[in-house]
Amino acid sequence: MDETQFLIEVKKLRFSYDSFQLDIDSLSFPAGKITAIIGPNGAGKTTLLKCLAGLLPIEKKTIFYDSQDIARLKEPARARIIGYVPQEHSLAFNYSVLEFVVMGRAAHLSLFSLPSSRDFESAHQALEFVGLSSFASRPLSELSSGERRLVLIARSLAQETPVLLLDEPTTFLDIRHGLEILGLVRRLAGQKGKTIVLTLHDINQAAQFADNLVMIKQGKVVASGDPFRVLTEELLEDVYGVKVSLLDLSGRRFIVIHS
Amino acid sequence: MKAKNLSFWLVFLLLLVIFFLSLSLGAYRLSLPELIKTLFSPIFPSLRESTSEAAQSIIFQIRLPRILLAMIIGCALSLSGASLQALFRNPLVNEYLLGLSSGAAFGASLSIVFFGPKIPVQLSAFLFSLMAVFIVLLVSRSPGGSIVSLLLTGVIVSAFFSALLTTVEYLASPYALQALFFWLMGSFSLAGWREVIITGPIILIAAFFLLLFRWRLNLLSLSEEEGRSLGINVQREKLIVIALATLMTSAAVAAVGIIGWIGLIVPHLARMMVGADNRRVLPFSALLGSSLLLLADDLARALTSFEIPVGIFTSLIGIPLFIYLLKKSTRLWLS
Repeated sequence: MDETQFLIEVKKLRFSYDSFQLDIDSLSFPAGKITAIIGPNGAGKTTLLKCLAGLLPIEKKTIFYDSQDIARLKEPARARIIGYVPQEHSLAFNYSVLEFVVMGRAAHLSLFSLPSSRDFESAHQALEFVGLSSFASRPLSELSSGERRLVLIARSLAQETPVLLLDEPTTFLDIRHGLEILGLVRRLAGQKGKTIVLTLHDINQAAQFADNLVMIKQGKVVASGDPFRVLTEELLEDVYGVKVSLLDLSGRRFIVIHS
Repeated sequence: MKAKNLSFWLVFLLLLVIFFLSLSLGAYRLSLPELIKTLFSPIFPSLRESTSEAAQSIIFQIRLPRILLAMIIGCALSLSGASLQALFRNPLVNEYLLGLSSGAAFGASLSIVFFGPKIPVQLSAFLFSLMAVFIVLLVSRSPGGSIVSLLLTGVIVSAFFSALLTTVEYLASPYALQALFFWLMGSFSLAGWREVIITGPIILIAAFFLLLFRWRLNLLSLSEEEGRSLGINVQREKLIVIALATLMTSAAVAAVGIIGWIGLIVPHLARMMVGADNRRVLPFSALLGSSLLLLADDLARALTSFEIPVGIFTSLIGIPLFIYLLKKSTRLWLS
């Protein structure tokens, strides 16, 4: 699928709540690549991601998607550019997998209309991409947490957006399911050319899967760019407050944490 | 999918059967051929000669308007119940529990007792039930607001409007009080063409738009953040649903008083039969709600020699069901 690639730029973004403040002067996320936002708990990873997704009330002229100011876009227009995958969905009603995934089409439909066969086709394709075709008519409540994570990704694929933002897509998953999700994210960047931004807890996962890293601490960017440049002993010790050793193996950097 | 289509045919058939059953029910006995002849005589004038004057007037002046009103109101209460459940993201809420019905009842009583025809009952009922739903929305909107806080708010709002209603009753003349009291219990016994003509169009127009909106209800039943990330203007779309659902409920209350629990029972049965997707739940609820309220009204007028107000009847069935559902869903609403 050929989609235009979007570069994301952040300029003088300030966002605060309670005693926390996010304060970013200038930051960019390369088009068609995977960028991981890393940092300790409470650093503001999810807040930054939600700002990028346009879900928090940000000021105008702070976040641009290929020079479009997202604070000026209306919901449907924004949702045709940005797909957002939350950590967990809340479920009040037990929809089937297909019914749930087709909701991703809302931004393409007018207010008083129903999804057409074209929309269901798109939902089916999304399910096929994440490998859950056979789950289409299963109720969501029967799925494991890993499968639900995949369904959430499928829903934002049905949204057909050039940009995909994922909030901690691997937390609470075992190693194999976590890798499965990250492999899927890789294919999305590689095959579909999507610009992908995700938050990650695990710095080793970030080191191995991301093309680009953004490391934040207390709402400020400490370093960004190539993983080899960001993941240095000094920075890791400063940001996470632990002693580490680095191990470079077959073109990848591994971080060994000393207890 | 096949089974779900079959359910639609079955509920449609059910509605037809109950419709004819209701027409034949009553002190004046009519055989089925006689009934059908009478019913179709306005369309085929040749049938008119073989029918009696009494049958004509019983069917067209008494039974038919009552039946139509019961169907319209069953449809209204079920549709507004189903949409409010999606909106509040909880399958247990309904217009009665949220205090909408009490708000509407207070508004209507205000108009009946003090303003007469100057302010239409429907308008006054609509305004006060709108007020009730906004109070519930505002008060229960605490972060991580659970069903417990939602239901409690509903109880408080209900109590508030009931208190206001009691004040109106206290100030009403004995004659107005009697009318008010009878109307509040929820009954179709005074239903005539006048009610059908005033209430019918309001409800059918609101129902039409709510049915067009039914898929969006699925999206509104997600968290607000999810809805927004999928491209929904959550505030605006919630307002649309609230306006339509409240309009329907208040028009129903203004016409026949408070008939509780239909809005809880019917969408639940619908979801059991056709799944959770509101694309099916809404039309199915409309048909099923019409059938069930009509059936309830039949029982209310045929079960005993005197007439039981149908509102009492639906509460007697609805409350045990609510308790059952509440117990069953404990796991859900603690999480």
